[in-house]
Amino acid sequence: MASTVDFRTHVDQSCRYSEEFVNIYYDCMDKKRRNLTRLYLDKATLVWNGNAVSGQEALAEFFESLPSSEFQVLTSDCQPVHEQATQGQTTLLVLTCGLVKFEGNKQRYFNQNFLLTAQASPNNDQPVWKIASDCFRFQDWNS
Amino acid sequence: HDDRTAPSFRNRKGRGPHKGRFDRSRRDRHRGGQSGSFSGGPGPRSRLEDTDGDVTMSDGSQDSSGQNRTPYGRPSRKGEGRFERDRRPFKGGRGGSFRGGERGGGGGSGLGIPHGKKYDKKWLLTALQNICSVPYRPVQYHVDHNRAHFYVDDLNAANALHKCSHKITDTDGYKVEVHVNNCHPPSFVMSDLKPEHLEHLKQCMAKRFDGSQQALDLNNIRTDPLVSQNVEVTLNRKISMEAVIKIIEENIPELTSLNLSNNRIHKLDELTELVTKVPNLKTLNLSHNELKSDKELDKVKGWKLVELWLNRNPLCEYFKDQASYIAVRQRFPRLLKLDGHDLPPPIGFDVGSCFGSDEIKALILRFLQYYSIYDSSDRQPLLDAYHDGASFSLTTPFSSQNPSSSLGEYHKDSRNLKRLKDPMRFRLLKHTRLNVVAFLNELPKTQHDIASFTVDVNTYTNTLLTFTVSGVFKEVVDGKSREPTMAFSRVFITVPAGNSLCIVNDHLFVRMATTEEIRKAFVAPAPTPSSSPVPTLTAPQQEMLTAFSQKSGMNLEWSQCLQDNEWDFNRAAQIFTQLRSEDKIPDVAFIK
Repeated sequence: MASTVDFRTHVDQSCRYSEEFVNIYYDCMDKKRRNLTRLYLDKATLVWNGNAVSGQEALAEFFESLPSSEFQVLTSDCQPVHEQATQGQTTLLVLTCGLVKFEGNKQRYFNQNFLLTAQASPNNDQPVWKIASDCFRFQDWNS
Repeated sequence: HDDRTAPSFRNRKGRGPHKGRFDRSRRDRHRGGQSGSFSGGPGPRSRLEDTDGDVTMSDGSQDSSGQNRTPYGRPSRKGEGRFERDRRPFKGGRGGSFRGGERGGGGGSGLGIPHGKKYDKKWLLTALQNICSVPYRPVQYHVDHNRAHFYVDDLNAANALHKCSHKITDTDGYKVEVHVNNCHPPSFVMSDLKPEHLEHLKQCMAKRFDGSQQALDLNNIRTDPLVSQNVEVTLNRKISMEAVIKIIEENIPELTSLNLSNNRIHKLDELTELVTKVPNLKTLNLSHNELKSDKELDKVKGWKLVELWLNRNPLCEYFKDQASYIAVRQRFPRLLKLDGHDLPPPIGFDVGSCFGSDEIKALILRFLQYYSIYDSSDRQPLLDAYHDGASFSLTTPFSSQNPSSSLGEYHKDSRNLKRLKDPMRFRLLKHTRLNVVAFLNELPKTQHDIASFTVDVNTYTNTLLTFTVSGVFKEVVDGKSREPTMAFSRVFITVPAGNSLCIVNDHLFVRMATTEEIRKAFVAPAPTPSSSPVPTLTAPQQEMLTAFSQKSGMNLEWSQCLQDNEWDFNRAAQIFTQLRSEDKIPDVAFIK
């Protein structure tokens, strides 16, 4: 982030990646749940309403236990994470808010945020985005 | 004694459950980068120490004068032979040299008197005591060749004795020399704790045990007549400490309060064993000892202490300020009192929060003082909390209806990528520290309900700590909070900065609170937001204010009593301590 122009480009790209991610993630969540963990790093952590779930296996088990869902994202925002926090590894903070209906439950508002890091991929020349952490809460969780 | 019928606590409840209850899975992760706090000379800490030492010691929270309290019984099933059987042989071949000593072997010195053979022991020791500035207790007086030797358990005494060299003239007209060998008293001096000695010790401990409080007071036990006349028990010696620990774990495993003050303890190695054996300990008094490093506390950090006394230990001198001293709390996240002073309560965060580890929790709780500045009338000091290249943005829920609601102030700056295109996307991302804080300063004044907060730790690595804070707040207009209640969810990405955290990314989500949230909000008495701006203070005054706030547990606003005392830290501290003991300080002063 040497100059403002660089930062602006950085922000612009971050927004595009973020939008793409939000589409892919919630589509996967609602329709291809089994593929969902592929979006996560091997050691990713999910904090779901205050409960931590870590690692691919635990995540797969957790998502399997969730009823099928219909997510509706109402707002999303994104910030490039400062390089000092990530040791130079390109990282995005993605934030969403919206409505979700889990089968057999009433529709509820939620907030969710993700840290995405660009990872070298064995199957691909280009790096891919992976979720390093995911934090989800119902807005009325406290009720 | 044998005929006492007082039930053994062991027998009453059994031990099994205690062992099971102890949570060994607690993570022992250490945070690095602490060493910085030990540099520098005595700061505000040592000054406060002088003023509150007497007060704290006379608080009498662990009264020992319980003659008629229930003594604990001896374990009836185990004979005295148990101590014999369990006594461990001393480690390592020590040979004739005690130099270096073993861990916890003692904090004293050996003294040598050349030609001491020719003196009467009593004459020599009395003559030395008469001119020695410090009372001392000679241990294992013996003669080796021409030299007389003995040991003292205290370096001060050794130094004072050294100064007595060449000051006594014997009957032959020679000056008596006193040499100090820098060696520890040998453990074997104490190795003959015979069953009858242990019995004396046990009786003494029984006398000092308060069964109703499960409290054991071993303050200055080496001078207890019951013990000292029969057997020497000095808790800075491994053998004494081990005997005491054995008696505790066999008789009173449910102990909740242990007072070890005034015992010249300089190592806590032996106590480590007690952590698992006495898992319910909540109060530990180590004041007036010789602990030189707070790292000693790592040895007992398994205890879920609520109250800890450390004052009058050399280690207190090494903390350059209150903040780093209070950081000993990182080892005992449930600590509510340090040296008798209330610490800012860690309430309101436990329910539903996900901290990951106690260390992280302590770090974040400290960080959350951010909100005491955010809620003040001037957010400019938040500059210190942000990295130069920090970013900030906020979003509100998208809704076409009700644009005039209280969210309006936030709504116009909402960076919702679903609705916005460039250049607004870029404009609404506040970048660099100055821009971020300038923007925060423009947002409505607020009052957050700290008790409503939940914290989720998303990620932590060596270089980053990301967490989400949620809760409710109200807007403040003309110094008064007003409806409606709003809710927020805020993501902080931080990097370590010395002993605290520095924000690199900050995202705020604001919405109206739900009915349920409104019902639960601000149940605890709310602080009156500062209506008058904080007067401009000099940097030392600011520093002193922060130190005072941290030491007293009062918020910054109330800590300005310093000003009423013409910035005399000690005087303000004295007045605070007195008012506090008279319960004259309202709770609101402690809400941060």
